[in-house]
Amino acid sequence: MMKYSRYQAEIKVLEEKLPSNIYRFMDMNTAKPYLVMAARTNRGNIYTLKIELDVFPDNIPKVFVTKMLYDCNLNPLDTPSSSMHTLNSENGCTQICHYGTSSWTNRVSLYKVYIKCRLWLEMYEAHLSTGAPIGYYLKHQS
Amino acid sequence: MIVYLSQEELDAFASGEAESQCGYAYEWEGEDVVHLHTQPLAHAFGRVSKCFFSKAAPIVSFLNDVLWCVFVGGDGPQVFVKTDNELQRVDSQMIPSKENLYSRSKGILEVGILEKKHVAVIGLGSFGSQIAIELAKAGVGEFSLVDFDRVELHNLARHTCFIKDLGRLKTDAIEESILGKNPYTKIHKYPLDISKNNQRLEEIVCCADLVICATDNNPSRFALSQALVDFQKVGIFGRAFTRAEGGDVFIYHPGQACYSCLVGNIGVVHEEITDEVSARQTGIIPAYVSAQDADAMVQVGLSADIEPICNMMIKLALVELSRGEASGISCLEDELVYNYYLWANRRERKFSNWHILPGAGPMPTIMRWYGANISRRDDCAVCSKDEILLDTGDEFEELLQSF
Repeated sequence: MMKYSRYQAEIKVLEEKLPSNIYRFMDMNTAKPYLVMAARTNRGNIYTLKIELDVFPDNIPKVFVTKMLYDCNLNPLDTPSSSMHTLNSENGCTQICHYGTSSWTNRVSLYKVYIKCRLWLEMYEAHLSTGAPIGYYLKHQS
Repeated sequence: MIVYLSQEELDAFASGEAESQCGYAYEWEGEDVVHLHTQPLAHAFGRVSKCFFSKAAPIVSFLNDVLWCVFVGGDGPQVFVKTDNELQRVDSQMIPSKENLYSRSKGILEVGILEKKHVAVIGLGSFGSQIAIELAKAGVGEFSLVDFDRVELHNLARHTCFIKDLGRLKTDAIEESILGKNPYTKIHKYPLDISKNNQRLEEIVCCADLVICATDNNPSRFALSQALVDFQKVGIFGRAFTRAEGGDVFIYHPGQACYSCLVGNIGVVHEEITDEVSARQTGIIPAYVSAQDADAMVQVGLSADIEPICNMMIKLALVELSRGEASGISCLEDELVYNYYLWANRRERKFSNWHILPGAGPMPTIMRWYGANISRRDDCAVCSKDEILLDTGDEFEELLQSF
């Protein structure tokens, strides 16, 4: 469970970096807190990200796009994939592999997680245009 | 025939009101060794039969199905064994009482001090199991044992547990090992994952005089580091690098650098992966890695390679538990003054450019401890008294703008 001082520090970073109407912390006093964030890609498409906070910041938070995404061949991105940087989907939502455990530290901010997922979305849209896997554009998340 | 009696149990029986009592004989069959107890053992061994304890002289007719009889009279206990319906006197030896069990350590360790100490051991793998048992042997009086895992086949090569322990919770198996060495130890067992039970972790840390962190992943260490800082407790962290080519030990003292400061200063190191299942659970092996590739990632070092690291953790623990008290181990307070210790077993990977042992002189070599003081980070996310400075990933922000 995130401590209050850490929660305040995260809010401060988000307030500095993003408009306040694109993120909202939810269920913070429960065992399953999460953060919902809107992400607009450079092509103008809008996605909603759900960042689960139950193990954050000691461990990597799970990040889901709040719908199932499909690759350029219309296959759902619902399984662990090295080339597409995805993990098992849950509740019909694609899960982004955004960080490697070996490089995770508890100093990583939610904003950094958000930015890395924004990058993944850019790569995903590039994949839809060219057919090249996300791994082609993106090194393994570190 | 070698017969052992428990001094503590006999004293309790002699001072009690009962004139007689039925107890238990545990015999190592074929070895002519028997242990006689007034109370049943939690983990019985050998062939079990009845033993009659009496304050009056033993009477043969009472002993229908009883093989052993202990007469507790004025001149010490007398042990009899029934052979051909007759009682034959046999010599006996004593399992010492609490205050004398580890009297051989006196002068080096102050057993009376350690007996009052409470150590929490988080993680009961090849590190934690050995450390817990060694501290029990030294006379530590109370333990909190934390591990959600069970003893599995791949554990056995380096673990203190035996084949007979396969499938048991590690907390139960290590409890038995500790009580086997020091039956007077008080043990609290917590078969749970501390990464998912912050509140319980805080309760465990709060009650302990010293915390041994012997888990195999950073998320649990970060959680523990936070609890140590919050409750101002001393904690000792130890780990092995890939294939146990080396390892390090870090000790946290309240007010000084914490484990997160260590990670901030030296970065994340490549650690030994000993178990595919737990490595997958913690994400060390990502979900998309195939079973074949994962198998190649599991590279376990030798038991002999982790022994020096365990040994250093034990020594540091004993120094901390005895700190400020006059004992034979006090001199180590002047030696073990660092908060970080590095050990190399082999000249591989990060140690490949170290010097060969013969003729190395002052240059770094394997099989030698190196100490350093890790300084506290002002921007530490756990222990900083100032504003927390988070990693905001500016480099990725720049990358994003390039699209």
